[in-house]
Amino acid sequence: MKYSTFSKIDNDQLKEPMFFGQPVNVARYDQQKYPIFEQLIEKQLSFFWRPEEVDVSQDRSDYRNLPDHEKHIFISNLKYQILLDSIQGRSPNVAFLPLVSIPELETWIETWSFSETIHSRSYTHIIRNIVNDPAVVFDDIMHNQHIIERATDISKYYDDLIQYSLLYTKLGAGTHTVNGKTHEVSLFELKRKLYLCMMSVNVLEAIRFYVSFACSFAFAERRLMEGNAKIIRLIARDEALHLVGTQHIINIMQDGKDDPEMAEVARSCHAESLAMFKHAAQQEKEWAEYLFKDGSMIGLNRGILDQYIEYITNHRMRAVGLEPAFENATHNPIPWINAWTSSDNVQVAPQEVEVSSYLVGQINSEVSIDDLGDFDF
Amino acid sequence: MNKAIQISTEDQVFELDPSETLLEGLERTGHQVEYQCRSGYCGSCRVTLHSGSVEYQEQPLAYLQDNEILPCCCQPLEPLDISVGLITKKSA
Repeated sequence: MKYSTFSKIDNDQLKEPMFFGQPVNVARYDQQKYPIFEQLIEKQLSFFWRPEEVDVSQDRSDYRNLPDHEKHIFISNLKYQILLDSIQGRSPNVAFLPLVSIPELETWIETWSFSETIHSRSYTHIIRNIVNDPAVVFDDIMHNQHIIERATDISKYYDDLIQYSLLYTKLGAGTHTVNGKTHEVSLFELKRKLYLCMMSVNVLEAIRFYVSFACSFAFAERRLMEGNAKIIRLIARDEALHLVGTQHIINIMQDGKDDPEMAEVARSCHAESLAMFKHAAQQEKEWAEYLFKDGSMIGLNRGILDQYIEYITNHRMRAVGLEPAFENATHNPIPWINAWTSSDNVQVAPQEVEVSSYLVGQINSEVSIDDLGDFDF
Repeated sequence: MNKAIQISTEDQVFELDPSETLLEGLERTGHQVEYQCRSGYCGSCRVTLHSGSVEYQEQPLAYLQDNEILPCCCQPLEPLDISVGLITKKSA
């Protein structure tokens, strides 16, 4: 499997697996092995938004009037989300594109990653409005121990995969010594790294974002920082879609019809996948502790957030075929968050409610006799 | 199709009104059901179906196992038996 930006060998793309087949040559969507990825692309495009559309001017005075411990909660969450989207805006492209072998999945990855860059730009939009000098917020990210710790945990699976796939493409399977270091390279191990990376991305989108989402919506429940909450709703809507994307990829891998060896890979990664979810839940609880170190906010405290983390962790684990990790977390302690993440009515501007399922230019021009069945002639 | 369909959950049996979705019916009757998009793409509301069958006007984007359904957008075709419980019991 040598990567080429345009593979010259004519192949039947419908027979290629999602990953590690022949690199994609013609980007064609007239035939699709997995139409779901094309549907995700269409949905994502119909969700398109620009940060500047959302008026965040009221947030400035809201922010100024927040007590210090709530300022800390607000700004810290933003910093954390900036980190998450900095990683997500580039990594799926860098890590997955060289390995993909079907066009609809390739384009989904690009579309997905692009939407993360919108999120990144929206944070600058929010921060510009609430502080005079945005650099004060941005400059701190690289020096904040609590944020950098998680950055390592999230990026290491991507980095592992990227490094290993470079070795594999350059040198192939076997034992290789590069710069005095010996590497055992095999396709099976490369597939394991891809699977674990996909699982870690799933965890990121399924759990890591939701602590900040909860805080943003808790402010908005008190009618504070509502511009920010509008943006977070749009982000949450996109993230829900990205999550579905990784859930599909992981489930197709586990199933083994696409690539029988992938099912074996998935089984061999089972224990690590479980551990990954548990570890992420633990880290998010520690994050909640850091957020509330100087005091809780109305409607949300560390205990509630811990319960919520356990609850959504269980929920997301089930979606990728894993047994829930937390036996007692069977109910959602903050059910009001659903009303905020509910996205069939995402309000973009006060005068305009954008219905998210609305697709531009979709007309059904086929009329069958059945469509007239209800008419009385 | 325009008649009430019987829904059996872990704790209750109720009639689903033809004007409401299964998700709305579950909410009305106090069941613990998660939701987010309410239009079939996020998969948050998925529940396990033990018996009965449903159809979708449009195939939902969310990933579903063979025995799972999406209450937000499915149309029950016959009485359903699903695994979801009441909120009151869960929080007790």
